[in-house]
Amino acid sequence: MGKATVIPFGPQHPVLPEPLHLDLVVEDETVIEAVPQIGFIHRGLEKLVETRDYNQFIYVAERICGICAFGHSLGYAETVERLMGVEVPERAECLRVIWHELSRVHSHILWMGLAADAFGFESLFMHCWRLRERVLDIFEKTTGGRVIFSVVKVGGVVRDIDEAQLAEIKRVLEGIKDDYRQIMNAFLKDTSVKNRTVGVGVISHEDALALSMVGPFARASNVNYDVRMLGNGGYGRLSDFQPVLDAQGDCYARVKVRALEVLQSIDIIEEMIAQLPAGDIATDVKGSPAAGAQAANLVEQPRGECYYYARGNGTKYLERMRMRTPTSQNLAGMTTALAGCDLADVNMIVLTIDPCISCTER
Amino acid sequence: MALEIEFAPLSVEELPALAAEKKAEGARFVQLLAVNTEEGIDLVYTFMKGGVLTNHEIKGVGPDMTVPSITDQFLAAFVFENEAHDLFGVSISDIAIDFGGNFYALSQKEPMTIISPEQKAAREKAKKLAAAKAAKERQAAATAAQAEYLAGHPDAQAGSKPRGPIEPSGSDDLDARLAGVDPEKVARVKAALAAKAKKAAKAEAAAKESALEEKLAGMDPEKAAKVRAAMEAKAAREAAAQKEGE
Repeated sequence: MGKATVIPFGPQHPVLPEPLHLDLVVEDETVIEAVPQIGFIHRGLEKLVETRDYNQFIYVAERICGICAFGHSLGYAETVERLMGVEVPERAECLRVIWHELSRVHSHILWMGLAADAFGFESLFMHCWRLRERVLDIFEKTTGGRVIFSVVKVGGVVRDIDEAQLAEIKRVLEGIKDDYRQIMNAFLKDTSVKNRTVGVGVISHEDALALSMVGPFARASNVNYDVRMLGNGGYGRLSDFQPVLDAQGDCYARVKVRALEVLQSIDIIEEMIAQLPAGDIATDVKGSPAAGAQAANLVEQPRGECYYYARGNGTKYLERMRMRTPTSQNLAGMTTALAGCDLADVNMIVLTIDPCISCTER
Repeated sequence: MALEIEFAPLSVEELPALAAEKKAEGARFVQLLAVNTEEGIDLVYTFMKGGVLTNHEIKGVGPDMTVPSITDQFLAAFVFENEAHDLFGVSISDIAIDFGGNFYALSQKEPMTIISPEQKAAREKAKKLAAAKAAKERQAAATAAQAEYLAGHPDAQAGSKPRGPIEPSGSDDLDARLAGVDPEKVARVKAALAAKAKKAAKAEAAAKESALEEKLAGMDPEKAAKVRAAMEAKAAREAAAQKEGE
């Protein structure tokens, strides 16, 4: 073995969309240890809950992350609704599921593009992002926004989707499905993609469980857990939900799980549209959360389970709001996957675990 | 499988045993969060197994206390333990990957323990609301008990005299007491009493003003300026009305 050397990786690196730093302890070309360092962009958004009332804070919550924006507003609203015992109309719950699954589609396709760019398949990257634009067009037509929608409020949603728009969504998704299958084939069958992903950065089933990993990265190691299977909100109306699983635990399995989840999300949206109930889209919420009252909630974000916690103090301001994002939970798994890999594979492993630093540092 | 959410109390001493128990039963570590309260920092450890999300809460961790790390059982907790240390100043021992206070690049130490004027005002308001609610409940209970007693004792109701406000001893009483006293002495007594009343009123006004100043100092400067402006406007209105009356 050669002499151990520490190679700094990030926070500015061509493969990293966000500032993550890794101290890679390398012997020859093999990484023997990786120590992650975050904390470059901590914004203190959770502290802002003291100066924004529980209705205003929803706009802060959805600005935590530009990709999971809808998911954070949904998770926050559901937590406050639990805290105050608010019943949300069924139509609003279903509309939330439609937008949340569309967010998952756009997040997964965006990430697949970044992964393609990381392993040097630039045309695949462009095809992914071209497809994602069509999902963003749906957001624009139904909410007025492309990234931040501000469509969720405590007690329901602020906009309805009419029959014509629902038919349009179905038509667009049908078109996306055909194009997407071609792109997915490139990811799952192309030899050059497989050369970079198969057998790389393996996280065993036991490690994934022991390290409390969540999301597609845990499901790629055959961990049968997805918050959607617990049937929260509108997800309770699904006839059947089975998480997408794979047993290999390598980069290829992580790509495969996320790729197949896009088709699963499209199926969920179609099922929701087919059974969308008529009725109100919001309930009037009055009063303030009781002093000392606390509530917790889980939401399956595109990158995995997100935990929300709220505590009231008897006023319209919350005493504490907490979001635990999937990346916080997966950092330990990432360091484990990096130990023993080739230096050239570090970017693939980091990207397939997809750390979201803006979520993590809130 | 549906989501069930539970909250349970926990002590610092019980934490290592709880972590070992959760590990043995195959539970997943979900998160650790901290809440800044007047009694200290509350820590909430969350675990999940089979759709049951259990939140174990340690209340009031003080600056002189050290909390043992659970990273020996759940490595994923290192992120949260470093965070609780950097943002809330919680002392945690034996963290597997310990950043020694450099996990987050922060411009000030322990930023989440700073109580903003808004938070202080919210806490005071909540206390007042809770006190008012408790007083209302006490009064309702007393009224109900009295009604129950009177229902069982009709004699007490017939013989009871309605209680009214106690009449203060007025100047009529003083005049009666001073009847027949030397008029010069009466004038001196009345002047002394008036001076005493004026002094008491002045002291009361000064105390009120200092209490108000103290309250305004604790408020958001912008809000305090608004309150001051409103008070000045009110004083000006009253002065104008008084002048008009004269």
